[in-house]
Amino acid sequence: MFKLEGNKPQLIIDGKRTDGRGFDELRPIKIEANILKNANGSAYIEWGNNKILAAVYGPKEALPKHTADPTMAIIKSRYTMAPFSSLEEHGRSGPNRRATEISKVTSEVFENIIMREMFPGTEIDIFIEVLQSDGGTRAAGITVASVALAAAGIPMYDLPYAVSAGKIGDQMVLDLNKIEDNYSDADIPMAISPRNGDILLLQMDGSITKEDFSTAYSMVKKAGATISKIQKDALKAPYEKIIEKYR
Amino acid sequence: MGYIDIVKNEYIKEILHKGIRDDGRKFMQYRSIQASVGTIPNAEGSAEVDIGNTKVLAGIKIDVDTPMPDKPEEGNLIVSAELLPLASPDYDIGPPSPAAIELARVVDRGIRAANILDTQSLFIEKDKVWSVFIDIYVLNYDGNLFDASTLSAVAALLHTRQPKYEEEKVIREGTLPKLKTNGMVTSCTFGKINGNILLDPDGSEESIMDTRLTIANDENNNIKAMQKGLHGTFSIKEVESMIDTTFEKSKDLRSVLSSLEN
Amino acid sequence: MNRIIVPGEVIAEKEIRMPYTYTEGGKTYSTVLGIYEAEHSSIIPLEGLWSPNRDDDVVGIVEEDKGSVYIVDLNSPYTGVIISKFSQTELAPGDVIYAKVKEFDEKKEVILMHPRKLYGGKIINVKPSKVPRIIGNKNTMLNELIQGSKSNIIVGMNGMLWVKGGDVALATEAILKIQEEAHTQGLTDRIKKMFEKTGV
Repeated sequence: MFKLEGNKPQLIIDGKRTDGRGFDELRPIKIEANILKNANGSAYIEWGNNKILAAVYGPKEALPKHTADPTMAIIKSRYTMAPFSSLEEHGRSGPNRRATEISKVTSEVFENIIMREMFPGTEIDIFIEVLQSDGGTRAAGITVASVALAAAGIPMYDLPYAVSAGKIGDQMVLDLNKIEDNYSDADIPMAISPRNGDILLLQMDGSITKEDFSTAYSMVKKAGATISKIQKDALKAPYEKIIEKYR
Repeated sequence: MGYIDIVKNEYIKEILHKGIRDDGRKFMQYRSIQASVGTIPNAEGSAEVDIGNTKVLAGIKIDVDTPMPDKPEEGNLIVSAELLPLASPDYDIGPPSPAAIELARVVDRGIRAANILDTQSLFIEKDKVWSVFIDIYVLNYDGNLFDASTLSAVAALLHTRQPKYEEEKVIREGTLPKLKTNGMVTSCTFGKINGNILLDPDGSEESIMDTRLTIANDENNNIKAMQKGLHGTFSIKEVESMIDTTFEKSKDLRSVLSSLEN
Repeated sequence: MNRIIVPGEVIAEKEIRMPYTYTEGGKTYSTVLGIYEAEHSSIIPLEGLWSPNRDDDVVGIVEEDKGSVYIVDLNSPYTGVIISKFSQTELAPGDVIYAKVKEFDEKKEVILMHPRKLYGGKIINVKPSKVPRIIGNKNTMLNELIQGSKSNIIVGMNGMLWVKGGDVALATEAILKIQEEAHTQGLTDRIKKMFEKTGV
């Protein structure tokens, strides 16, 4: 399927990536809010071939009681992948070490962003279910979880988004799909607070120079304008639909 | 179950007495059923079914595996179910609960007894067979997971592609044949509240019903599986009546399956 | 002109004090998904949570009798508490009550006073942010609901509503319609028309 160079598929051919995208081009993104009835807030995202559901429960009483923080809400994120989510074999059920790490760094994004002091003694549960995966799921998960939190009415300082940048050969690229993620020379997921560009999540794996990192950040910020608009439109859509109906 | 449910329970019992269900349905009426297949293209097969606000997604993966020692020339069917914590405030994280396990096993029984899957056609060569994994993912709970899960598992199975095994490798891309299946099986689930028998109980009705019965049947009205749940009882007359209703209503369920296209 | 805003959106290029906002670096930002009414310089949240105020009327369900206090489920992150010796009515777990908020203390418990029992009926949970619209300006919407359905309706600011008698199904339908269209114009008229058509 891909041109092989030694053992690695060629990820860039004639200046185009495997899926025809330019170096700083995002995959298509669609978000729909309020998709689940029981959750306090929910949203669904299709990001390229990724399909991810996010749901929020809370604030509610923190249980067990000894885990409660009397000064603020505790944030519990849980990222899991469905056993049928990959193009390959059936996956094992239940969280693995990778999912546990992703859950932790995701919680840390929202610990910064949610106005936690408003709900002492409570917990806010954020569930991120990857139904289908194609690279960049942690970034898509954070992006859709932001929408679910806003839809739940939980007060936040901002509406964070996330996207990965990477390096293929000498070229920095934006938003790696699975094949690129597997064979790239670096993978840099980032979550950003749009109002000031602050970095809420940063991980890196591979080998890059300091200039590479600056380039990656610029690409992420530029894409952020598009991602933020899609998040905001998803939140506004159900209300605007009703306003239109009765105009 | 909190006290909020108890108040709703009293209200529901009161109106059942008058022959009304909270959402205006008749006692033997299904909520609206929506179904679609192929929602997860990465999976070999997938289907989403909504019955009212209950939302279930079934995903199917097919892998090369070793056969069971007592059936060396047959493939395997493995059905699992997860009550995802995002589906209900009452679902916790952790290993499958007894309810999740019961759900998976009942759905499995219907499919297996009805021979929907031709397990002999899943034989590859000595010590190699295909294993068909059906994972039932409950995304939103509002009662009657049994019927929604059976429907989504069977819908997915009827539109699953069969990978190839060539030169010791599993080929999942390109034009693939459809997985070989036989016929259809569907289930109807009933709940009993204060002596009233209701088809397709929703979440509120399930929280107060004292008895439950699921009946699975095929197109020839052979009963393929039955499962009674909860602590109450049924009389033989009640069960016979539910069997008749199941035969009647299963026609509509099979129509839902027939109308699906990938 | 009103517009829908999201968390982190700039409301003003200077620091002003307004509910549902915070200030940072000389600007004021929204904290919620809501409607910004420029004319009144205020934000109406479209979703979410109840912020208990003294004298708020609430509907709740007694969960526990701890002897000196009753614990009340208010369907919110905050637990309701009634001090037994100040309650003129004896309560038991399972009782539906309506009461007033006396105070909301730092332990994030809502202290309630003047509980009264409600018998029978149905409880409907709505988003607390929609309750003001269900009541309406000077109770106009609530009166519409009561007259149109001939039901008894008690509205809790915590988003729990108690409905009994009359056409409960119709009252429920109307309440859910108000919840969904709360942010639109002409809603009171549409609700009036709905009752005129189906009429009790």
